[in-house]
Amino acid sequence: MPKKELKKMKIDEITQYFMNKTTKQNMKIIRAIDYLIIENFEEFEKDLKYVIENKKEEEIKRAFESKIWKSKMMFSKADRVLVFNRINKIRDLGEILARKMLLYRVVFPDEQFKNDIKEILELLKTVLLDLASAVKSIGKDLEHSYEVSQKIKNEHLKLRNKAWELLSNLYNYEMDFLSRTFLYLKDLIEGIVFLADEAENFAGYLQFLATKYLIFE
Amino acid sequence: MELTSILIIILVIMGIALAFSIGANDETLSALVGANITKFKIALIIGGIATGAGMIFLSKEVAKTVGENILGEGINYTDFMLLAVLISSIIWLIIGSFAGIPLSSTHSTIGSIFGVLIVYSLSQGGVNPSTVLNYEKLSSLVISWFLSPLFGFLFTYLFFKILSKFFLSHLKGMNQIEKSERNFSWLLLISVIFAEVWVGANSAECIGLFWGLKDKGSLTIEDYYFFVVICGIFVFLGIFTAGRYVIKNLASQMTDARPSEGFIIQISSSIILMVCTLLSLPISHSHVIVFCILGLNAGQKREIDYRGLGKMAIYWVLTFFIAGILGGMIYMGFLSVSLI
Repeated sequence: MPKKELKKMKIDEITQYFMNKTTKQNMKIIRAIDYLIIENFEEFEKDLKYVIENKKEEEIKRAFESKIWKSKMMFSKADRVLVFNRINKIRDLGEILARKMLLYRVVFPDEQFKNDIKEILELLKTVLLDLASAVKSIGKDLEHSYEVSQKIKNEHLKLRNKAWELLSNLYNYEMDFLSRTFLYLKDLIEGIVFLADEAENFAGYLQFLATKYLIFE
Repeated sequence: MELTSILIIILVIMGIALAFSIGANDETLSALVGANITKFKIALIIGGIATGAGMIFLSKEVAKTVGENILGEGINYTDFMLLAVLISSIIWLIIGSFAGIPLSSTHSTIGSIFGVLIVYSLSQGGVNPSTVLNYEKLSSLVISWFLSPLFGFLFTYLFFKILSKFFLSHLKGMNQIEKSERNFSWLLLISVIFAEVWVGANSAECIGLFWGLKDKGSLTIEDYYFFVVICGIFVFLGIFTAGRYVIKNLASQMTDARPSEGFIIQISSSIILMVCTLLSLPISHSHVIVFCILGLNAGQKREIDYRGLGKMAIYWVLTFFIAGILGGMIYMGFLSVSLI
């Protein structure tokens, strides 16, 4: 999107645009891991490089900052800044995960491990897409945002349990404890969990916003 | 210069200082500043003018209650009585401030008047304690002190419930809420100005003193109006020079408060103040506002600190009696050194 158009956007629109970009970035990461599972390293690297090299977010941040300081919003200004910062945190965690993944070309130990990782990725995908939907709703429907955030929390719990199971399996494989494969896979699982944890935290914050703003009869 | 003239000058200076302290302790504007509706200085100027105007144009009946109607048939204040009343209420308020207890200057003043007049009647032959005060007026005053916070609570509760049923609960998103709160911020501005007018109008402890001086013949009606205007100016100065610190401090804790909530509280408390002022009843603005906040909390089903409230209620009741005892003792002190 050209800079001029970005400048014309409203605060809410810039936030949603940033959320969409971040979700797109994270979907690329998930797809990259899918390519890694089938050992298509070329596509894997292509997707991760897209995440690392895409510097559009700097422009979005600048546009948001200039808008928010000039904004006449008196009530929700601080909360909107926090929402934007939380999206940025998700984006940063995604970038860190992408950079770590590019350090080595791993081969998964067996089919079971691949299936388990795929299962975790499905859960992460649901969490991140739901988060995008919850963030999109804050402007128009906080109740919906609250409900979706609750769903994120439930999905996150499933992901967490699955990740513990997978980590436990990893430690029980017959492989050298300090091997690159072991370290890489451990970092990969932890990176996915960190991303999901941050999404869950964000969902908690969105629920706080809903209870702060909504007045019930 | 005669002792009487010196006393009158002292009383006038103390009355004006009291007007200044009313402005200096007025926290009504903090809701407006916290919501960031206008620039800080503009808020101070608007609030100061409104309070000053209320004091100048609308305080006469309440002043009459304190300065004349509360006294029994044929009883007039003496300079020493007024001095004892002022000293006692000031001492009790200072003690309250150091102890961190929010006290009402109105209750303190009326309590002091009660104590001073009882001692006066006991020290004067032929003056019956049962006729030294207009007990009908005094009891209606005391009843209003209990009823005004209760009405404040009920009014705020009902107002919030109605507003929430028909409007606030229908707002679903942050954009809609932001827009609505922006509109409420203008209503908050109007309600704060309205509240400040009635705060000024109900500041009996200050203007009542001048009415008392006029009633006993120490001031002419022209002098009275002149000093009321001076008090109006000093209330403004009190808000602008000293009140700004109280307001800024409270406002910094209110940045999360919704303008709609501020509007509900301010409009409810100012209506109670207006009704009481029109009925010539000096009441405590801070008591009313505390109960208005409680009414809003009850409407929002928020937790209420009953222990803190009970403690506050004890001090509210005690204020009248302690100020009375203090006032009586000070007046007795004047009597014992044979100044009277």
